Amino acid sequence: MSRYLRGLLVLLLLGLLKLPIEERVVADLRSQRLLPTPLDLNLRENISQMGFAASLGGLRSLVASITYLQAYVAFEDVDWAKVDSLFAITTRLQPLEPSYWDEAAWHQSYNAASYYLRDPDLKKIMKDKIYRDQVQRGIDILNEGLRYLPDNPRLLVRLGDVHKERLADHRMAGAYYLEAAKHGAKDYYERFGAYEFVKTNDPVLMRKAYEILKRAYNANKKSYDTERLRSTLMRDLPMLEERLQIPADQRIKPARPTANAPAKGAPSGR
Amino acid sequence: METVTTKIQKKAFQSFSIGRVWTLATNTVTQLLRMKILWFLVAFSVLVVAAGFAFPAMSPEQQLKLLKDVSFGALQVFSVVIAISATALLLPRDLEDRTLYTILSKPVPRYEYLIGKLLGVLLLIGGGLLFMDVIFSGVVWLKQSIIISDNIAAYEREQSATPEIIAAVRTQIEHYGLNNSLHAGVWAVFLKAAVISALALLVSCFASSTLFTIVITFAMTIIGHGEQLMRDWFFHKHLSSFWEKAASSFIAVLCPDLGAFDLVEPAIRGDLIGFGALMSVTGLAALYITGYTTAAYLFFVEKEL
Repeated sequence: MSRYLRGLLVLLLLGLLKLPIEERVVADLRSQRLLPTPLDLNLRENISQMGFAASLGGLRSLVASITYLQAYVAFEDVDWAKVDSLFAITTRLQPLEPSYWDEAAWHQSYNAASYYLRDPDLKKIMKDKIYRDQVQRGIDILNEGLRYLPDNPRLLVRLGDVHKERLADHRMAGAYYLEAAKHGAKDYYERFGAYEFVKTNDPVLMRKAYEILKRAYNANKKSYDTERLRSTLMRDLPMLEERLQIPADQRIKPARPTANAPAKGAPSGR
Repeated sequence: METVTTKIQKKAFQSFSIGRVWTLATNTVTQLLRMKILWFLVAFSVLVVAAGFAFPAMSPEQQLKLLKDVSFGALQVFSVVIAISATALLLPRDLEDRTLYTILSKPVPRYEYLIGKLLGVLLLIGGGLLFMDVIFSGVVWLKQSIIISDNIAAYEREQSATPEIIAAVRTQIEHYGLNNSLHAGVWAVFLKAAVISALALLVSCFASSTLFTIVITFAMTIIGHGEQLMRDWFFHKHLSSFWEKAASSFIAVLCPDLGAFDLVEPAIRGDLIGFGALMSVTGLAALYITGYTTAAYLFFVEKEL
C-alpha cells in the first residue's frame, strides 16, 4: 500500500476516532456552561456576512461587543427598535453573558417605556399601551435569558425590579427577589422580597414576610447598621404584628434609647 | 578505535533525537523572526492599551469585557494568522532556499524535520502569546484597579460606602477583571493555533503552492468552527438526502472541532475554567496534532523534492 493511501487511512481513522471524543468533550464543556450552543444560522439575516464569518471563526465574543456598541449608539440616538434588534443579536451571540440580557431588558422596560410615556405626541391611551408593551418586552427578554441561564440571580433581581418599579406587581416582585436570594444574590434581597409581600395584603404572603423580617430583626440586632436596618424594619414589623395578630409576648419591643443618648425631655446636666 | 567509531555512528543514526528536533525548531523560530513577525506584538500592545482606556461611558463590567473582547480577538487573529501563514511558508521557503536538501542529505529522518518545523512554529506562537498575556494581564489589572477606586470614591462622595457595598463592588468588578480564567483562555487560544498549525503542515505536504495551503487551511479553520453543527447532523440524522449526509459526514470526519477550544468566552465572562476542562481540550488537541502530523509524515515521505 502506498504511503499516500496510508496517510488517507490515518486521516479516516482519526476522523472516526475523534467524533465520539469530540461529542463527549463538547457535551461535558456545555454541561459546565463553558461552551455555548452552536450559532443559530438564522443570524445570517441579521448580521453582515463578514460578522457571521467572524462569529463562525471563533470571534463571537468580539462580534457581540461590536453589536453591543452599535446598540449603545442606537440608545444615544433614542432609536428603541434598533436597540432591541441589536441587543437581540448580541444576546443570541452571547447567550451565557447575563449582563447583555440584563441591559437589553433595562433598555426596554425602563428607558424605552419611560420615553413613550413622556412622548407629547402620543395620546394617553396609546402611551399606556406602549408603556405596558415595552415593560412586557423587557420581561420577555429576561425570561428568555433565564432559559439559557436558569436561576441566574442577576436576571431574577432585574425581574423583581421591573415588577416592583414598572408594574407595581408586589407579589411577583417579592417572589423574584426571594428566588434571587435563594440562588446567590445578596442576602438583603430576601428582605426586599419581604417588603414587597407586605404591600400585597395577602395573609399568606404577609405571614412569610413577617417570618423573614423577624428573623432579620433578631439577626441584625448587633450588626454595624442596626439602626438603619431597624428603622426600615420598624416600618413594617409592627404593622404585620397587628394585622397577623401576633401574641403580645412575641412582638418586638419598642426601641429603647441608647445609653449615650439623653432621654427625651431629660435635663442636659448643665 | 573501531568500537568507538561504531558507537559514534550508532549515536548519529538514532531513530529519534530530541537534540536534532530542537535544533530544527530553534532554526525555524529564527527563520520566522526574520520575517518581521514580531511587529504584530507591538501592534497588539498598542491596541490593548488603547482598548483599555476607551469607552469610559460604559458600565464598569462592560469596560472590562470590551477590553478583554478586543484583546482576545487580537490574540486569536495573531495566533491563527501565524499558524496558517508561517506553517504554509515553511516547506516552500526551505525548498526555495535549498535548505531542505542540506538538512535531508544529513542523517535527519523526515519525521524529525516535520516535528522540528511544527515545534518551531508552536514555540513562536507560544512565546508571542505569553508576551501578549503579560501585557494583557497588566492592562486588565490596571483598568480594574482604576474602576474599583473610582467606584468606591463615588460611593464615598454619596456617603454610602458601607463595607457591604464596597465588598459587593469589588466582587462584581473583580469577577470581570484579572483572574486565572484569563490565562486558561490564552492556553485554549494556543491549543487551537497548535491544531491549525498541524493542519497547515499536513496540507502543505501535498499542496502544490503556498497559496493553496493558506486557502485550504483557512477554509478548514472556518469549517472547523462550525463542525459541531455537522457532527450534530452526522450523529442525529437531521438530513434526509444521501448526498447531504455524505457531505456532512465527510467534513465532520475530516475537520477538527475548533469550536471546542472556544474557552475564550467563559474567560471573558470571568467564569471559572476548571483543570478538568483544560485537560479535556488539551487531550483533544494532542489527538489532532498527533493524527495530522502522522498523516503529514506519510504524505511527505512520498513527496518528490
